[in-house]
Amino acid sequence: MTPATNAADQSLKDVSPQRSVPAAAWLAWYSLREMIRRRRLVALTLICLLPVLMVLAIRIWFSQAGVTAQMMLASLSHDVFIPFLIPVVALFVGVPAIGEQVDDGTIVFTWTRPVRRRAIYLGRLLAAQAVSALVLSFSLALCFVVMVSQGAGVLTWEFIRLYLQTVLIIILGAFTYAALFAAVGTFFKKPIPPALMYAVGWESLVTNIPARVQELSLRFHLQNLITRPTESPKSLPGLLGALLSTAFHREPVPKAESVAVLVGVMLVAAFLGVWLFRRKEIAK
Amino acid sequence: MKGAGIDSNQARITADRVGKWFGEVIAVNNCTLTVGTGVVGLLGANGAGKSTLFKMLAGLIEPSHGTVRVFGRRLRDDVGWYRRVGFCPESDALPDWMTGREFLELMLRLMGFEKAETNRRVDYWLQRFELEAAANRRLGGYSKGMRQKIKLAQAMAHDPDVIFLDEPLNGMDPVSRKQSIDLVRELGEQGRTVLVSSHILPEVESMTSNIILIDRGRVLAEGAVAEIRDKIPEHPTTVALASSAPRALAGFLIGREHVVGVQVDQENRVVVSTDHAVAFYRALPGWLLDNGLVVDEIVTLDDSLEAVFQYLTER
Repeated sequence: MTPATNAADQSLKDVSPQRSVPAAAWLAWYSLREMIRRRRLVALTLICLLPVLMVLAIRIWFSQAGVTAQMMLASLSHDVFIPFLIPVVALFVGVPAIGEQVDDGTIVFTWTRPVRRRAIYLGRLLAAQAVSALVLSFSLALCFVVMVSQGAGVLTWEFIRLYLQTVLIIILGAFTYAALFAAVGTFFKKPIPPALMYAVGWESLVTNIPARVQELSLRFHLQNLITRPTESPKSLPGLLGALLSTAFHREPVPKAESVAVLVGVMLVAAFLGVWLFRRKEIAK
Repeated sequence: MKGAGIDSNQARITADRVGKWFGEVIAVNNCTLTVGTGVVGLLGANGAGKSTLFKMLAGLIEPSHGTVRVFGRRLRDDVGWYRRVGFCPESDALPDWMTGREFLELMLRLMGFEKAETNRRVDYWLQRFELEAAANRRLGGYSKGMRQKIKLAQAMAHDPDVIFLDEPLNGMDPVSRKQSIDLVRELGEQGRTVLVSSHILPEVESMTSNIILIDRGRVLAEGAVAEIRDKIPEHPTTVALASSAPRALAGFLIGREHVVGVQVDQENRVVVSTDHAVAFYRALPGWLLDNGLVVDEIVTLDDSLEAVFQYLTER
């Protein structure tokens, strides 16, 4: 065995579990490095370039149409990031974050360490949340750069504030969806279909039902946090955007309520995920 | 082992009427074991239930009935006791994106070792398994034998008192096999408990004289190897050796002690019949090293354990 140790020393060995916070931090760091090397992350990053291309196209073809950078940013987050990009990225990062290791058998190496399962789960989850938030924030940062390249006049305090607010909303959305999908990935043997059904089916269906039913979707609460510019559009694309916004208008709820709902869902999903993970058995 | 005179104070691993079902399949059926210190071999054909029993003992799966304890604890609940337990799984799954060094580092950091001690242990175990040159290569690029070695290293690097080794010699070349066998014996001599599984009787016999035979989820026989071997009907064991120079190897082996027949088969493997498999396995690495011969793989063609099973089940 390792030099300077022998079986007699072992009787004095500490048998307390590792403290959960440093253990989770170690696992989060290694998991983050693992997740950013996955091929699927390259595909997701490419998908996240979609809004950048949209902003570029608007800049090139509709630069004179009165679409302000603030309107563009608000519409992007409201109509592209929240209903599409955040769920997709969080789904393909969050679902395999924990379940995949159990299925392929590599979890055995962490399960046979003196680390509580909740620390293992939360470490992996934190990595999945961070990766989702990084990919989405990167995409938004590129959009910001393209918008700012219009000229110095764009860079107003209001615009910067709206950008920072949007980054926070996207991070909150990524964290909440990733927690939810990680729990789905821990519970189901084949988790992608139910996760897709939730993201594409339930969220779209509920969001478009009037009255309070729409509040049963994460999308509603994320969109509720977006501050949309009130200035009247002077051009056709701006007018179309305003019309669409009116058609899908929903009664807002207080922003604090939406934040509370999103944080609450994240915590409940994480708790549920830990509970499921503690009962998990090795497959291979 | 059960019936080996181990009282409850000496027992490190206990299984009491433990069973496991997967749907309608019974993987382990009413197994009762008590294991003290030293090396104990868990022998059984593929699918006999060895890996399921190992996973239950290591707290990775819950028994359908009965209880398992290591140091009198349920490892699943008392995770701190994993500091004193090492586990080498049969499965080949490893985090392929990591380098060998990173993998051992993470395993030791999760055990609670500080950086300096972690580095010392990583260096020692990489050197012990002759993996220093591959330390900074990704595990995905490791050969089967190297993967086995790194799995063994992570199971031993924290100096555990109880070590579960599930088919640890799979895919290893003869020299690595010998080194690993020597290491397991050394661990047993140090007063540790090593429960090692295999489906090859001579392999286990070279590590220990205490074995538990398991078949279709039941403990079939237990005790000293010599007692069980006495029950094996006399017939030679056939072993296939894969080598890049099969004819030279075949020529060398003809007339050696315990070799009763040599031929080269259609796959260019040297097929050896031996009248004493254990002695042959013991002598082979020395012969190869002394004469500069290389063997890439060893496969036992007629598993002599089958004969034991047949004998015991027909009794």
